[in-house]
Parts: sequence; C-alpha cells; structure tokens
Amino acid sequence: MKQTVFILLGLAVLALLAAAPYLLSDYGTALLLGMTGYITLATAWAMFSGPTRYVSLATVAFFGIGAYTVAVLSEVLPYPLVLLVAALIGLTVAIIVGLSTLRLAGVYFVIFTFGLAELVRQTVTWWEVNVTETLGRYIFLPFEGRHIYWQLLALLVVTLLISWWIGRSRYGLALKAIGDDETVAEHAGINVPGLKLALFAISATIITLVGAIQAPRWTYIEPSIVFNPTVSFLTLIMALLGGPSKLWGPMVGAIPLFLLFEWLSANFPDHFSILLGALFIMIVFFMPKGILAKLEDLRAGGAS
Amino acid sequence: MNGRLEITGLKKRFGGLTAVNGVSFAVEPGEVIGLLGPNGSGKTTVMNMVSGALRADAGSIRFDGVELTRLKPNKIAKHGVARTFQLVRPLPTLSVAENVLLSFAFGRKRHWGREAQMLVEEKLEFVGLGGRGGEEVGNLTYIDQKRMELARALASEPKLLLLDEWLAGLNPSELRIGIDLVRHLQGLGMSVLLVEHIMEAVRALCSRCVVMSAGEVIASGESEAVLKAPQVISAYLGDDHA
Repeated sequence: MKQTVFILLGLAVLALLAAAPYLLSDYGTALLLGMTGYITLATAWAMFSGPTRYVSLATVAFFGIGAYTVAVLSEVLPYPLVLLVAALIGLTVAIIVGLSTLRLAGVYFVIFTFGLAELVRQTVTWWEVNVTETLGRYIFLPFEGRHIYWQLLALLVVTLLISWWIGRSRYGLALKAIGDDETVAEHAGINVPGLKLALFAISATIITLVGAIQAPRWTYIEPSIVFNPTVSFLTLIMALLGGPSKLWGPMVGAIPLFLLFEWLSANFPDHFSILLGALFIMIVFFMPKGILAKLEDLRAGGAS
Repeated sequence: MNGRLEITGLKKRFGGLTAVNGVSFAVEPGEVIGLLGPNGSGKTTVMNMVSGALRADAGSIRFDGVELTRLKPNKIAKHGVARTFQLVRPLPTLSVAENVLLSFAFGRKRHWGREAQMLVEEKLEFVGLGGRGGEEVGNLTYIDQKRMELARALASEPKLLLLDEWLAGLNPSELRIGIDLVRHLQGLGMSVLLVEHIMEAVRALCSRCVVMSAGEVIASGESEAVLKAPQVISAYLGDDHA
C-alpha cells in the first residue's frame, strides 16, 4: 500500500518534471537542464565512490569523452548510434583504467584519476592540433534545450533505478564491505577486484552519456571546455554534501549547490574559484558524512 | 560433511626471511587441531596461505580434494574454508547483522532476503548475540566483537574453520564460554584449525597438535604427549627448561 503511494507519487513528480519546459521560461529550462546533468553526474559518481570510498577525479575525463564523441561523429552517424558509440568508448576506457588502477589505494587512486583526466585532455588537444588540425569543433544537431533536458531526465531516472537496485541487492552490501576492509570482504567470498571494476565501469558509462547528451547544447566545443577539471570537483562536492552513501544523497547535495554556483558565477565570476574552494573546506569540515546523515543525527539526538 | 585438509611441503619467504619452510600436516574431517609455536614461528603465515591471504612459494594445500594453493580468498571461502583474524576486523559501517549477512550472501551457498535474515539471527543466537543485530559493531565490547567475527565466519557455512588466536584477550569466564562454543562446533562436525597460545584451551579442545618453531614443524601428535616433548618446551621456554 505504502509502496504503491510512493510509486504513484514518483510518477507524478516525473510527469511534472517532464512537463516543466512547457511551464518554464527558456532560462528556467536551461537551469533545470544543467541541474539534471549535475544530479546525474553526482548520482553516478556516488554509485561507485560512495560505498567503496575510492574518490575518483576522472569524472570529467569520461564526460569529455562523451562530448567529443558526439562532436566528431554527429554528422557521420545517426544520433542514437552516436550515443551508443560514446557509451562503448566510455565503457572501454573505464575497463582499461579500472584494470590498471583499482589496485591503487587511497590517495594514489585520487591522484591517478586526476592525472588521467589531464592525460585525456592533452591527448585530445594534441590529436586535434597535429592530426586533424582543428582545435575546437562545431556541433549542429537540431536539438533545443528541452530535447536535451528530456534525454538527461530519462538518463537520471535510469541511473537512480540502477543505484536503487544495487543498494538493495547483495552487491550493495558487498560494496560497503569493500569500503570498510577489502581483506575481510575477500575472505567473506566477494570477488573484490571484479565488483569494483564492474561498478566503476557502470558509473563511468553513465558519466560519458551525460557528456554526450549535453554536447549539442554548446554548439562549439574544445578540450578546455569539456575537459574542465571543475566538473570533477563539483560532482565530488555535490555528492559529498548530500551524502554519497545514500540513494538520494547526491541529489540533495546537487540541487542547492548547482543553484549556488549558477548565482556565484553570474554575480562573482572573478571570485568563483576562491568561493568554491572555501565551500569545499566548509563542507568537509562541518558535514563530512553529508546533509542526510546530519539530519538523521539531529533527529536521533532530538528523539533521545 | 567431508573436509580433509592436507598441507604438504608448504614454503613462504619474505625477502631474506624464510617464514615457513616445508611445513606438512593434515586436518581430518571433524577434527579440532591446534597449531602452536612461539611468536614468529610462522603459524599465522600458514593460516594466511590456507585462507588465500598469502600465496605459497612452494608446496600444496588441498582441501576436500581441491587444490587451494593458487586460489584467491573469495574462491577458497566458496570451497568451504572460513577464518577469523588475529586482531578482530569488524566492518564498521555495517551493523552487527549486516556483518554476518555478508558471509551468507557470498559464502558457500548464496542466501539473501528474508531467509538470510532468519539465518543471521540464528547465527547471532548461537554465538550469544541474539537480538543485537541492529547494533553498531563499534559499540560492541571486545568479546562481543569476537563473537560477531565468529558468527561472520560461520555464516559462509564452512567445513573448515581457521581460528587465529580467537580466544586471546578473553578473561577466564569469557574463555570458558569461548571454549564451549568451539566444542559445540566440533559437535556439529566442523573441522577446526586453531592457532592458539592459551594451553588451557588447547588441552580442552585439541586431540592433536602441530608445533612450529622458526618456520618448521618440530613436533606433532597427541596433545598431551606433544606438549611434554622436550623440543617443544625448549622452543617455548629456552633450552634451560628442557
């Protein structure tokens, strides 16, 4: 009974969100589009990094791979096929990277993933300058903001469903165990390297698709735009703020932070980086487990 | 419940140090056997090779007719070998019940859902943590964390249990409870390999013992006889006492 109410409520919210472009101004739709993109990124990031605590800064590597694939192939292949190719490239890169890095622990993994994002950016730049002799590409796809928004909304729903399914399956428990103690997890019968690789690959494929779907929005792209490391940092901090170990955590963090960043970059474009850094420190300092865990603590404290 | 463990010619080197040098012994099905020796004699290294945490340089470990020597810990767990750790290793973000549930979900058979929850409660009851599944592991006392770790090892439904100083650090009354628990397991037909320093426990539980010193087996056989053997006494206490 209660479950039915939840499903109906969820569908109603989804219908409202799908209808939003008809109710909002173009600016409102654009805002919603960007927000949906970041919610999806943060949810996909937390799917792997939340329970396992492998902090990845490679988000923008995959995001950029997705965007660049669309830029290169959009006039060669039909659009759905372009998305498929982008997803496959993202998946392939994730598997190669995963096989070579997931044995790294803690800070080494963080540094490697950050390095990876830079490596991909420099490689694409080098290729464009020396081989194709074009830095920057135009994307001409007949999409308006609402078309992109609907695709992102669908991807977000799928991402949440995958995340929800993992969370209630035995693999969700296994991922948390891996985050706590990989040796114990292995001795309990879990194929630790295999599970980490699978989750990293799923997460990276979704992130690639976010980049691919959003690409037509910019019309013109170049490596410094789609491989901007700020995307990785924003995704990370959104997930951390909400609480990366909860299904709704990344969303709870992404909505206010996205709006705040929009406002900051519109009003204080020169000081954006400084304010971002300060915010980063404050969140880690005051709410290391995220808003949702903080609320639970407060509720538990009030009850007792 | 068959489950014979057969170790032959096991060797392990760490750099220039030979930690285990040609160790051979067997654990018969349903037997509780003690693996003894002074600190640094290589007992835990043997345990780690049996459970797959370390890979042997030479020799073989066969269990139930299966060669375990090159297998990863998760595969070994699925073949029916479970362990506890010398220092308790609870998973802090999981509840007590979830710690145990993990082994049911990925152990020898796969249990999940309502059925698994009932099995978890049974195991918690067995080790004396009945009704406490919802607690955080960090809030458990030391003995209760040890109980939880035993329940977690049992939840993978092993045929052979490796207990690495599981009884260490318990007070006398807790020790009696611990010994009773292990004896109960033997009654259920499980084989147990016990690394232990507490002689009271070894005498109470183990029909046979294997004693190691400096990486080699120096004595093995009936517990009473082995514990009186001069080479065992000198390994523990020095030559003057032999």
